[in-house]
This record gives sequence, structure tokens and C-alpha cells, in this order.
Amino acid sequence: MNPIDINFTLPVQMISFLILVWILAKFAWKPLLKMMDNRRSFIEESLAQAQAEREQAEQIKREYQAEMLKARQDAQEVIAKATKVSEERAVEIMEAAKEEADKIKKAAIVDIEREKEKALAEVRIQIADLSVAVAEKIIKQKLDLNAESQLIDQFIQEVGELPC
Amino acid sequence: MGEETIIWKLGSMAFHGKTLVMTWMVMVAVIIFCLIGVRKLTSGSPGKMQNVLEMIVDLVNGIAHGNLGSEKGRVMMPYLLSLITFVFFSNMWGLLPNFTFKVFEHLHIEFAQLDKIFEGSSFMSPTADINTTLALALLTFILIIALGVKYKGRHYFGHFFEPNPVFFIIHVIDMLSKPMTLAFRLFGNIYAGEVLIGVILMLPGVWIFAGAPFDAIWLAFSIFIGCIQAYVFTVLTTAYVAQAVVSEEH
Repeated sequence: MNPIDINFTLPVQMISFLILVWILAKFAWKPLLKMMDNRRSFIEESLAQAQAEREQAEQIKREYQAEMLKARQDAQEVIAKATKVSEERAVEIMEAAKEEADKIKKAAIVDIEREKEKALAEVRIQIADLSVAVAEKIIKQKLDLNAESQLIDQFIQEVGELPC
Repeated sequence: MGEETIIWKLGSMAFHGKTLVMTWMVMVAVIIFCLIGVRKLTSGSPGKMQNVLEMIVDLVNGIAHGNLGSEKGRVMMPYLLSLITFVFFSNMWGLLPNFTFKVFEHLHIEFAQLDKIFEGSSFMSPTADINTTLALALLTFILIIALGVKYKGRHYFGHFFEPNPVFFIIHVIDMLSKPMTLAFRLFGNIYAGEVLIGVILMLPGVWIFAGAPFDAIWLAFSIFIGCIQAYVFTVLTTAYVAQAVVSEEH
């Protein structure tokens, strides 16, 4: 038998195969390919959606970070301001205290001066009194001796010469 | 092998009865295989059979889109998928033992010589008949010209005369050799495989256990060849169509 025997089996095989292609295309391949396309588009959509959501999340994160930074800066500013104010206040208090102290010191000095004057004046009065007393005693002694009459006269004279 | 060829006659037309019966059995098997695969079609997590079909689709997708681009590849997909599954199942069919257990012979059913068709120890690959492979190759040939004309119009015939009208004869030979080589390559591989299976089964003592290893080794190799040839047939069909369809811009 000759294995290469071409006869009318050939067109029958062509028709059979075309029928097979038609049946398979209609009932198997088209639905399958369509489903796979759907799946691909579903996956693509999901990926795109995930991408968009990630971008959104990044955006939110950036905004949040910016806000955080701003809040931190504000807090820093507030602290700096408060520190400055407190320092100024401290200086003011210090100055006020120093002024007060100066005032008190001056007042004390004035008081001391006055007391000194007063004391001096008292001393002077006492000295004068003492001098007068001493002079009185001396004069009394001299006058008793009568030896100094001339001196007395002179004194009187001198007094008399003073312009009254 | 060795048995006489079963001829059906319709008027003056002769048909190879065994090839046709086997082809129709293969067609039924392919259809059942594919319909089981798409029975519970889901884009979620596919079942086992759907997975197998998706693997075939991915394989053919790679071939078609690589050669033709996605738009033209999409058009060719159903044909190429049917082609690869049919050729693969055909190549495997001749490796199956005769599961009819000669029931037609026992019951003396002589209608359409069925008793003789199911006589052998194995089924027969439809692709072990030159008529089948030549039919597929001619369909490829028609497809090449049809798609060439569809996508290129009259320019398609222009390329037969390039770069010089003298080259026409070479182009014609090239064109005719494509279906010839496709048909004879597949036929030769599968027919030779079946002949050798027949020879191995004729070895003395093969029906007892000692002969089994030879048969097993050759069956394994035939499965390998069957896969390769189904793939090659599909790839070459795609490549030939791509040659005709894809515009070459040099």
C-alpha cells in the first residue's frame, strides 16, 4: 500500500477541520478570549486605581507633613516669643529693683547727712556751751584777781566800737 | 500497519474511511476537552481545565502577537488555537490503544467497514494520513493569500515580481513549497512514529511484559514528537501569514 495516496479524503478533511474551527471558535475560544480580555482590563483598571489611590495618599501625606512642619514652626515661634518676653520682663524687674535700691541708698545717704549735720550742730552747741562755761570760769578767776581790769576795759571798748 | 487501507466509495470518489472516522473521533475529543474547559468560565480563579486552556491560549498568544502584532494576531487566534489543539490531539490519537476492544468485529458490524477500521491494536493518528496534513496545509495556503490580499490589496501580488520580474518563478516555488513542506513534515513524523509502533508491536514476545519497555520508550518519544510537530505547524502557519501580511518597511 502506498502511504502517499491523495484522494477525496482531502476536501472532506478540510471541511471537517473548518467545522471544528467554527464550533471551537464559537463555543470555546471566543468566550475564553473575551473573558481573558475582561480579566486583563479588570487588572489594568485595578492597577490604575491603585496607582491613583497611592498618589492621593502621597498627596495627603505631603499635606499632613507640611501642616506638621508649620505647626512645629508656630510652636517654636511661640516659645521664642515667650522666652524673649520673659527675658525682657526679667531685665525690667532687675532694673526696677536696682532703681529702688538706688533710691533707698540715696535716701539713706541723705538721712545720714542730716543726722551728721544734726549731730555736728549739737556738738557745736555743746562746745560753745562748754567754751562759754570754760570762759566764764576763766573770766571769773581773772576778775577775782582784778589784775586784768585793763583787759576788761579794752574788751568793753572793742565791744563799744562794734557797729550796732 | 500492514493492514489494507479501508476505502469508502461514493460514486467515483474514494475516501480513506479509517482516517475520516479517526478525525471525527479526534474532533469530538477536542470539542469535549474545550467545552469542559469553558464550562465554568470565570475571570476569578480558574479551574484546572480552564487553566489548561488558558495555558494554550497564552502559548498561541505569544506566537501570534509576536509575529503579527496584536490587532492581526487577535483575528488569527481562534484559527490558530483550533489548529494547535487539533494537530496535537491528532498526533496523540495514534498512541492510544484501541479502546473499542474489537467490539465491532465481535458483533459483526460491517457497516462502513467499522470492523476493519477498529481492527488494529492502536487507534490511528489522522495526521498520519497525507490527506489530513495536506488539507491543513492548503488551508494555511488559502489563509496566506486571503489575508495577504485583505491587508495589502493588490500590492500583495506585486511582491511576486520583486525585485525583478524574473524572480516570479522563485516566488511561485517558494509559495508552493510552503504548504508542501508543512504537509510532508507533519505527515512524515507522525506516520513514521505509527509505523515504528506497529513494528514494535510485531516484535516477538511484545505481548508479554518483556516487550513493554521498548513500546513505552517509543510512545514517550512519540508524545514528544507530537507536541513539537503541533507547535511547529502552528508557528510556521503564523510565520507564513506574517510574511504575507506584515508590511515590510525597509
